[in-house]
Amino acid sequence: MRLEIGNFYVKDIVFGAKTEFKDGLLTINKEEALGVVFEDEHITEADLHIVKPGDMVRLVPVKEAIEARCRVGGGPVFPGVTGELMQAGDGKIHALKDSSILVVGRHWGGFQDGLIDMGGEGAKYTYFSQLKNLVLVADTDEDFEKREQQKKNHALRWAGMRLAEYVGKCVENLEPEETEVYELEPVTKRSAEVNALPSVVLVLQPQSQMEELGYNDLAYGWDCNRMLPTFMHPNEVLDGAMISGSFMPCSSKWSTYDFQNFPMIKRLYQEHGKTINFLGVIMSNLNVALEQKQRAALFVAQMAKSLGADSAIVAEEGYGNPDADFIACIVALEDAGVKTIGLTNECTGRDGASQPLVALDEKANAIVSCGNVSELIELPPMETVIGELESLARDGLSGGWSNDAILGPSVREDGSIIMENNAMFCGDMVVGWSTKTMKEF
Amino acid sequence: MKKAILYINQFFGQIGGEEMADHAPEIREGLVGPAMELQKQLGDEYQVTHTIICGDNFMGSRQEEAIKTILGFLEGKEFDIFFAGPAFRAGRYGSACGNICKAVKEKFNVPVITSMNEENPGVEMFKKDMYIFKGGASAASMRKDVAAMAKFAIKLMNGEELLSAEEEGYFGRGIRKQVYLNPPVNAADRVINMLLKKIRGEKFQSELPIPPSDLVPIAPAISPDELSKIKVAMVTSGGIVPVGNPDRIQSASATKWGKYDISELDDLVEGEYMTIHAGFDPAAANADPDVIVPLDALRAYEKEGKIGGVYKYFYATVGTGTTQAEAARMGREIAAELVADGVKAVILTST
Amino acid sequence: MTKEIEKAGITIVQMANLIPVAKTVGSNRMVPTISIPYPLGDPSSPKEVQFKLRYHRVGVALDALTTDIKEQTVFKVKI
Repeated sequence: MRLEIGNFYVKDIVFGAKTEFKDGLLTINKEEALGVVFEDEHITEADLHIVKPGDMVRLVPVKEAIEARCRVGGGPVFPGVTGELMQAGDGKIHALKDSSILVVGRHWGGFQDGLIDMGGEGAKYTYFSQLKNLVLVADTDEDFEKREQQKKNHALRWAGMRLAEYVGKCVENLEPEETEVYELEPVTKRSAEVNALPSVVLVLQPQSQMEELGYNDLAYGWDCNRMLPTFMHPNEVLDGAMISGSFMPCSSKWSTYDFQNFPMIKRLYQEHGKTINFLGVIMSNLNVALEQKQRAALFVAQMAKSLGADSAIVAEEGYGNPDADFIACIVALEDAGVKTIGLTNECTGRDGASQPLVALDEKANAIVSCGNVSELIELPPMETVIGELESLARDGLSGGWSNDAILGPSVREDGSIIMENNAMFCGDMVVGWSTKTMKEF
Repeated sequence: MKKAILYINQFFGQIGGEEMADHAPEIREGLVGPAMELQKQLGDEYQVTHTIICGDNFMGSRQEEAIKTILGFLEGKEFDIFFAGPAFRAGRYGSACGNICKAVKEKFNVPVITSMNEENPGVEMFKKDMYIFKGGASAASMRKDVAAMAKFAIKLMNGEELLSAEEEGYFGRGIRKQVYLNPPVNAADRVINMLLKKIRGEKFQSELPIPPSDLVPIAPAISPDELSKIKVAMVTSGGIVPVGNPDRIQSASATKWGKYDISELDDLVEGEYMTIHAGFDPAAANADPDVIVPLDALRAYEKEGKIGGVYKYFYATVGTGTTQAEAARMGREIAAELVADGVKAVILTST
Repeated sequence: MTKEIEKAGITIVQMANLIPVAKTVGSNRMVPTISIPYPLGDPSSPKEVQFKLRYHRVGVALDALTTDIKEQTVFKVKI
């Protein structure tokens, strides 16, 4: 399997007569793009904005981020989701870099939605403040979930994916500025030199807690709650096999953009053949019942053992009850003789003093910690808000509240906000970008 | 000019050695013993106005009285910061420093700083409550230990950015915060570094040390005979409340609990009770709250005579995001009510 | 909360799905439940079946209260 990602670096985005990319300038025909959004009759209103690093703009409730791409020669960017099933991770794709499509609710947020500040002190809390973004702000007729804290956000997320493909299409026939190549030989057919290196398997735990379909991360369009751990090629993850869901408290979330760019995978590729033998990815999940967590750990450890993995990295998309899966997998792997590193974030409570993971085990002795969902963040008002600021306080976002006895509401009259890091959109960057760690004070 | 007061024991207070350990607390204007070094280290913008001296045994065996007396000395005195020690390895001295610092902090709400060696039992006892700087094993480190306390005090009082416990030199207080690494190193790189070290059997430091477990003594079993005579109470962190959430318990990071009268009910039903817990799909619990607070099952056992009855209230709060400190406080408050009403048995359901 | 109630001398049993969590936090008497969103009754099964499960597991919990233990104990359930 050989994946070539041809990169086009976006220096600026503007609206214009024709959707095209030239010399770093991405032009979007707004009407045509909105036409793509409105293909789904469930979308009742929609608008597009352009935001860039440094803009004093606050976006909330943010539901998804997607990298605009196209499959060279045709085919869906997200097999099994935006089009027919096909093998991902083998072939050529073109991607618009330094840029993303952001999906924001016109009004209604939920537990899983988050906030992005493009400029000012709040910018550092998310990755997307570094990108030039095409923002879809829209509302839908999904009244059944309008006032629910848990939202499937289906229409909005799928509209985002349609937009990502629409925009990506404009670079299909252009020559990329650079090409990333990802290739791994079949596991049992590697050279003696590579086989002599310590082997590593990357275990990913995408969120899949909801038992009703429509909320969880998808693998080739299949709900991750309805699967057992399985062996995947890292190229599949980089090439649209995984879609972000709509459940995770936002700073722990892996957006579709996060999956498409997965820094931990790219970093393992960098080391492959030099210091390690990167075997591949075990795609596990985070189901809610204890027996399912145990079963998943069993499968993960068995697969790692049977692959002959010397070591493993376990990355968890979540906190709270998913910590039990995280620890269970690490312990099962260590018991199988697989040296394991854990990659996660913590929830210490507002006073910083609660146990950081809800389950612990001495065998989990090597953890990289990306941030704290409980950290309080206070930010000044922003000139421009895309979406609806009040949603942070009103709609049960994981890091916002309507009225706290000590702190007051998350959204104050003057537009300044106080929130938990929990609602920063994909803020803990557990996929590998995080430059945050946790220290004791 | 910022003002400071220092607490020391009878030995460093130049009263005497072990034989003077029962020395009653006294407060002296000006500098005695280590206070001189402290003043020197703090510099001209600070004045160590008083030195408090107390015998280690006096504080140890007449603690309440000692603390009361010393707090009395401090009443009406102007001071911005309070120091104690350094206590090195002296156990009674370390314990004394911890006790007096805790009391002063609670009453006067000023920063309190002390110093002791890692072997000093005072560290485990008090590290969560105050800054305990990592001190040397004996008085040979006096200057160094005093300097460390002073240096941090100045940083603290100037409102400078404070680094982690390890970097500043005091024992971690069990408070974890997120910190941006400077220079920045991303998580993927940190994973590779840690992975290679672990594979090679080299030393590495986990970013999340596993704390030792903390168990409580097992409460005694109730005899089946007694169980058939007493009322069993239900408590839940699953957020089951009357529809409308009259006590406005938060759906996450809760700080409130409620108690609800079920003395006339055999069953919790849809439309009367619901869950407000944000961390899971509420559908099942809203349709039948008994799946979280099993009133119907308990009533069945009451009819059979296995239990004497169901306690008239059930207690509820929400577990997601809620700090352990808040949960513990709520637990204590609920426990106090149950104890006051003679409840001996509880079933607690979590989600 | 379980620990604070037990510290006050009240005999308590915790019914939870995530036994590893209850153990780590320090509960002494534990009974497993079937899931997080519906600890004592699976909504996809008929009401009678749900009640039977609930009745059984609550019964195990009551028996846990009458059982002398020497260390953290997870009590076994049959259905």
